[in-house]
Amino acid sequence: MNSKAVRDALAGYLFLLPALIVFGLFIAEPLVNSIILSFHRYDVITPAVFVGLDNFIKFFHDARLLTVYSNTIEFVLILVPLHLIMGLLLALGVTKVVSLKWKYIFRTAFYFPVLVTTAAVAVAWVYMYDFNFGIMNYLLSLFGAAPIPWLNDPHWVYVSVAIFSFWKFVGNPFLYYLVGLQNIPKSLYEAAEIDGANATQSFFRITLPMLTPTIFFVMVVTLIGAIQIFDEPYLITGGGPGDASRTISLYIYEQAFQNHAMGYASTVSLSLFIIILAITIIQFRFSNRWVSYDQE
Amino acid sequence: MDAHKPAYAANSVVGVKAGRPGARIKVRTVLLYVLLLLVTAYMIIPFLWIFSTSLRLAKDSFALPPAILPTSFVWENYLEVFEKVPFAAFITNSIKIAAIVVIGHVLISSMAAFAFSRIKFPGRDVIFLIFLSGLMIPSQVTIIPQFIMISKLGLVDTHWAIILPALINPLGIFMIRQMMLTIPHSYDEAAYMDGANRMWVFLKVILPMAFPAVSVTSVLLFIANWNDFFRPLIFLNTYEKMTLPLGMTVLTGLFGTGNLSAVLAGVTLSLIPPLLFYIFGQKYLIEGLSVGGLKV
Repeated sequence: MNSKAVRDALAGYLFLLPALIVFGLFIAEPLVNSIILSFHRYDVITPAVFVGLDNFIKFFHDARLLTVYSNTIEFVLILVPLHLIMGLLLALGVTKVVSLKWKYIFRTAFYFPVLVTTAAVAVAWVYMYDFNFGIMNYLLSLFGAAPIPWLNDPHWVYVSVAIFSFWKFVGNPFLYYLVGLQNIPKSLYEAAEIDGANATQSFFRITLPMLTPTIFFVMVVTLIGAIQIFDEPYLITGGGPGDASRTISLYIYEQAFQNHAMGYASTVSLSLFIIILAITIIQFRFSNRWVSYDQE
Repeated sequence: MDAHKPAYAANSVVGVKAGRPGARIKVRTVLLYVLLLLVTAYMIIPFLWIFSTSLRLAKDSFALPPAILPTSFVWENYLEVFEKVPFAAFITNSIKIAAIVVIGHVLISSMAAFAFSRIKFPGRDVIFLIFLSGLMIPSQVTIIPQFIMISKLGLVDTHWAIILPALINPLGIFMIRQMMLTIPHSYDEAAYMDGANRMWVFLKVILPMAFPAVSVTSVLLFIANWNDFFRPLIFLNTYEKMTLPLGMTVLTGLFGTGNLSAVLAGVTLSLIPPLLFYIFGQKYLIEGLSVGGLKV
């Protein structure tokens, strides 16, 4: 190696050093340690005991695990399409608004809940969902509808979390789509109009294809977020009623920090990691079939 | 909500030339505004209810009908929040932690992004890929070994327990790197010709030009840390050290069944920093998203 290459390597690693240290300490080392932990029984107070495959055997016989995983899948299947589609519809709607003032008002109204402290507003929403005193059932009663057991019914809790989640987080995909729509060159639409394309055609031939990178980004981020959903079940439903809305993240938290079963919690958390890894790889594998990056 | 919306929304662009367009376009515009206003109302009503109820007497706080507009003005509820819990500390702790994380991110991530985009050295692309795959490791996996490590370091119930692991931000590194890659090499070459060293080129040439990506990742990271509930829940125990999201659950625990108005006074107070943040930060967020792009 000549001296320039050596200098470059030195400079490269120097610039990278802080990131490498933090990555090593707080991501790489914990990942390795949680693999090691999954073969141990550890309650933080007494020293860890090697238990071989015990945690994995327990993993495959844990009936609650099946429940919490299927709950998590249910949340994913509800929340991901909800945010993906509603975020897009809202962004398309606001893009059509001509008045700049109204554009600003709509954008602020849709995005502001994203910024507010989740825990604070979740606390308020629990009271809004109250069966007897809540505003939701009061509004229903104005229309003569029967009160809904928002948080006390194993099926309605999913609706309740979805209504909250839409209110709190739809601003994220909305804003990403809004920016994505702004970045589509106007000249494309003008050219299509000259060629005699109608509105439906330009939507499906221009808007949607040009937006696929944004849709893909929102999909990856929303999906990873939904699989790890913790705040909503912890703060709004408490995982209940019973185990009806207990998610995998909540279960891991309870195993690790309430039951102090650190080893078993690590085993469960690794299964979550493998699932997220698999889903992400699949998403990227299939992305070249429908995501187009080449029109710029 | 309305599957035909995209098609019709796109219609109004081209539809100007159609037969008797005036009336149809008007109907569509009105419909668009009505739909967007309905969603706006949905976004705003919870905030109105929170604020109005925060001003009720404790004994009326659960009373029906619920208030959308204030029915009384009991500002004492706000005093009670500060008397019963260290609410000011919750807010300053949250701001302090989020601010330190963002400053650390700007330094660490942009230095790493500079190395990844501007310097050629062996191992660079492998390390970059490893960093990126760190994105897929859920915090449930790393939190358990992190907790054990932080306990051993004696940092439980300190702000460092929250700050240190948050300093690495693979998505931030990725987005800043993507932006730096678009800066033509002639800029650094000119600076090097003038005798500048690498640090100078980084600080004075590349970093300013990558500002949109740095600012948008900073804003996103600030929001994420401001909202983080999971880590404070695990690491912080003392009231005085708690962040706002965790403090909110303490406030609810104290007042939840007796004085809902005091809880909602706390919720209302928690909305002020995000409001200020939106007013001053939205410009950077939207500009950054437009320029920085969201491509994975």
